[in-house]
Amino acid sequence: MAIIDIRIELKKGVADPEGSNTKKTLESLGFGGIKSVKSVKMFEIELDLPENEALAAGEEYCKKLLANPVVQSYKVTVR
Amino acid sequence: MKAEDVKVCVVRIEGTNCEDEMANAFTMVGAQAEKVHLKQLLGQCDPSLKRSLEDYDILAFPGGFSAGDYVRAGAIFAARIKAGIGKDLKDFVEAGKPVLGVCNGFQILVELGLLPALDEVMADKPSAALYNNDSGRFECRPTVLRNDNKGKCVFTCDIGKGDLLMCPSAHGEGKLMSDIPNFTSRLEENDQVVFRYVTPSGEKAAYPWNPNGSPSDIAGICNPAGNVMGMMPHPERVMTAYTAADWTRGHPSEDGDGKKIFTSVMKYLSKK
Amino acid sequence: MNQMSAEERMVKRTAPYDLCDIRIRDASEDELKGISEALSLGLSLDEMKAVQNYFIKEGREATDVELQSLGQAWSEHCCYKSSKSILKEFVFGIDREDILSRGDAGVMVFDDDYGYALRVESHNHPSAIEPYGGAATGIGGIVRDVICMGAQPIGLADPLCFGPIDTKKEIPQGIKHPRYLVNGVVSGIRDYGNRIGIPTITGGFFFDESYTGNCLVNVCCLGIVKRDDLLKNYAAGPGEIMILFGGRTGRDGIHGVNFASKDITSTSEDDSRGAVQLGDPITKEPVIHACLELAQKHLVTGMKDLGGGGLSCVVGEMAIELGCGADVNLDKVPLKEAGLAPWEIWVSESQERMMCTVKPENVDKVMAIFDLWDIIATPVAVTTDTGHTRLFWDGEMIFDMDIEFLTGGPVYNRPYELPKVSTKADEVFPELPALNEVMKALMSDLNVASKEWAIRQYDHEVRAGTVLHPMVGKLNKTGPGDASVLMPVPGRWKGLAAAVGCNPWMTGADPYKGGKACIDEAYRNVVAVGAVPNAFTDCLNFGNPEKPDRLGEFREAVRGLGDIARELNIPIPSGNVSMYNEAPGGVYILPTPMIVCCGLIDDVRKAVSADMKKVGSCLFVIGDTKDEMGASLLFRKFGGKGGDVPDSIPARLKEVSGRLLKAMGEELVLSCHDCSDGGLAVAVAEMCISGQIGAQLDLTAMEGDVNVKLFSESASRWIAEVDGADVTRFTEIMGDAATLIGITKGESLVVKGTDLDISVDELRSAWNDPVWKVMGGDVE
Repeated sequence: MAIIDIRIELKKGVADPEGSNTKKTLESLGFGGIKSVKSVKMFEIELDLPENEALAAGEEYCKKLLANPVVQSYKVTVR
Repeated sequence: MKAEDVKVCVVRIEGTNCEDEMANAFTMVGAQAEKVHLKQLLGQCDPSLKRSLEDYDILAFPGGFSAGDYVRAGAIFAARIKAGIGKDLKDFVEAGKPVLGVCNGFQILVELGLLPALDEVMADKPSAALYNNDSGRFECRPTVLRNDNKGKCVFTCDIGKGDLLMCPSAHGEGKLMSDIPNFTSRLEENDQVVFRYVTPSGEKAAYPWNPNGSPSDIAGICNPAGNVMGMMPHPERVMTAYTAADWTRGHPSEDGDGKKIFTSVMKYLSKK
Repeated sequence: MNQMSAEERMVKRTAPYDLCDIRIRDASEDELKGISEALSLGLSLDEMKAVQNYFIKEGREATDVELQSLGQAWSEHCCYKSSKSILKEFVFGIDREDILSRGDAGVMVFDDDYGYALRVESHNHPSAIEPYGGAATGIGGIVRDVICMGAQPIGLADPLCFGPIDTKKEIPQGIKHPRYLVNGVVSGIRDYGNRIGIPTITGGFFFDESYTGNCLVNVCCLGIVKRDDLLKNYAAGPGEIMILFGGRTGRDGIHGVNFASKDITSTSEDDSRGAVQLGDPITKEPVIHACLELAQKHLVTGMKDLGGGGLSCVVGEMAIELGCGADVNLDKVPLKEAGLAPWEIWVSESQERMMCTVKPENVDKVMAIFDLWDIIATPVAVTTDTGHTRLFWDGEMIFDMDIEFLTGGPVYNRPYELPKVSTKADEVFPELPALNEVMKALMSDLNVASKEWAIRQYDHEVRAGTVLHPMVGKLNKTGPGDASVLMPVPGRWKGLAAAVGCNPWMTGADPYKGGKACIDEAYRNVVAVGAVPNAFTDCLNFGNPEKPDRLGEFREAVRGLGDIARELNIPIPSGNVSMYNEAPGGVYILPTPMIVCCGLIDDVRKAVSADMKKVGSCLFVIGDTKDEMGASLLFRKFGGKGGDVPDSIPARLKEVSGRLLKAMGEELVLSCHDCSDGGLAVAVAEMCISGQIGAQLDLTAMEGDVNVKLFSESASRWIAEVDGADVTRFTEIMGDAATLIGITKGESLVVKGTDLDISVDELRSAWNDPVWKVMGGDVE
């Protein structure tokens, strides 16, 4: 049994309207000192596999479905 | 082929929501359109409901939020198709049969690797993405398209080069991006650019005329063979003049601008 | 006898599930109150006594499931106990032959083959706590009401009321900033409406301080149904199978109705979070397909949405209509998480759930359709001839109640005080700056300013049937429209128009006239596009009915609505009441009767939009302009007081509308716009903005003070643009109802004999920018 975390984020240079809008909104609510807001997406997947295999499986999930390589990068970690 | 013999498969899953008007659009130009659930193509249904892709002459991916657009717009629909009937779909495209994707349908075609598919029929992994609008908002607004295709695309063969069409847009993720170097010029070389956003006088668009910030104002592209086309704006919403946003200010004909895309593909098939 | 605590009166049953028997028969008054409180039943002492009597007669104690069920069924939200007698007196019973149903949604004749469905309801309290989920689930609920009629949903309309988004005032503890609420609610409507593929065609935003602590989110859905496929919302007889389908049942939304029937308190956020439901549009979308297929194939006898009260309300209501009962296997209900107590399952308001009744021989066919769409569907009950609802868990009966008693609910004639109304006698006309400044101030008032920021986030064209859009005029240089028009049946030119009417300020200043004014506005919006008004649906948002002044407002407003609807002979086949709209500290909302009017137009190609079409045409004011400045935008903006509130004369409204529609039928009207907030001046300015054309006005043919002529909000009025060549015929038809006020000309709005001379561009930016500036985004 393993739990993997998959973190999908935007590649460098890809605009992040969700992040920048969130930043603007937080500032409009009076919060100061915010340098940047970045949106990321997380999946937590429970697998009936040993750790090393779970990691490899996670990589495959990203390639086949979870990330679009044109705009997104991903990182798979085991808990 | 006679128009009434043309069979159109309007494919849907949960969250597809423009299938009624897509099927109506094909019916309005004389074809037989059937709304088919992906499970019917995959055989995950009562045998009487099972359908086979090869029995159709046109495949259309309507707009909507397939599978809720969860993960990424179009990604889940595309993954399911690829896993289930990827080979059938590739055969369909290789046979030169027309495939249309509108809005979410365009996103699906990109996720499937059927577009832009610069050097192949169907890429293993997507080489482009339809990404969040620059405004960060869903944008439902009229857009004006210019036909920039030089003649390869089967969906514009009845539309003059440089002609303008008013087709409304309604999407949150329509910015066409790719990591292929010189993407736009590669598309141009292959005659894969079909529609660009322009102003009503045909000039270069800025927001809001380009509603998503798509580079080079690209609104729709086709594959190198010209039989697969994806576009963000919705031609099926302007089959008559009376659903255009400004029809009360005068309109030259009873037909809407979107109809020409459907008559084009029917004309193409009539010669087959 | 010693006082027993509620806990002592609750005896946990030895069973593999969580059930309490409650000793209620010998409870004292205080103990009854204690039980109501401990179980969050929301029942008053008198109501608890009626419950006690029931169990004394039955000769047994109650279960917690039974008491919880009563708490739901007897809530204001479910049984309208405070409003029913008033509604009955004034608005019920406007009958016409073309009403096809008064079910979960009203259904009216559309043409020989089709009917259209309409319903509006509130989702106020949940949206005040969690705006995104609250609004989204509001849409989900109203869409289900339309689907239950067998109708394809074709349009949504969402009138919303908030505190001013640019408020500089301190927001009270526990209340969210209006800007946050607006953003959340609009996002919720956008994500849900867009994802299920139903266009949001119209709506409205109303901003006033009184909504800061209690925003209003009203949602309306329209549908179209083949008259042969029209569904009932109840079982056809005993022996039918009840199939629960759609989402699973969870703890979300437990006690939602009791929450909706209480004031918002500053701690609401913490203790009522469970009352806000989560929505799932992607379950809903297949549900729409499946339901429509069931209706078209005539496989179900009845269908109903699980709304307030969840299973506890739907089972009884579906059974009792024709005198049936129902036996329910509660343990069969599919759950989101294990371990829910029977009472939680019974009253949960989890979203996306519906119930249908099916003849036994059709069950397999129905289940096959659900299966194709991957919809969870479970036969959970069977209708009986007992008149009782009985619940079983693994065969053991845990609930047995007479449905008549359960759904009967109390009816109150609570005391009320008639409100003092605004009159000419106490009028104070405000000091006004130069008219150009006045115009800019009115155009940029949040209640007038462009709502494009929201409108463009809603897909208003999906389904390809939107003929007149919410924004009209030049592409990407649009202005406000009146009614939106749909072409619901592909291939037919017949159209359905829909528009919102509401003026809470007039209703606050004079509830009777204000109630009439709301109907008048919705009606004239529909006429403005060339459609014949056909039906209303109403959502009545008011304060705490237990306070006599609030109930007095309600009573007067409802009397107004009823009087005018009856005189116009337009039915109200569906509606909704939302009481207890109050914030901490006793701030209560303006009385807000939200009206949606639907109209029919034989040929949508003759529909008229509000944007001026060309230079050199004549402008007319249609209807009678009177000195009725009470509650006007001008007074609100510049500190005017008192004044007569505009009074709608239904006979005159009907007669003038008839003439205007005749002129439109002859295609004599180039553009038409109703006069509402800001009167004639703002109406003309809006037409200039959408047409990008100026206007030169000369108001000498009208009577009265020039500021009254410009800014009075007298009811039943429109501005019409007519080609010079058609003026003779137009005035012949209109008679005394049309007064020439000017021509379309140039690039400015100019009023002869006054200092008003302002460019259309200035008007546009005053009108266009304010909401964008506050909510963020690029200004067009």
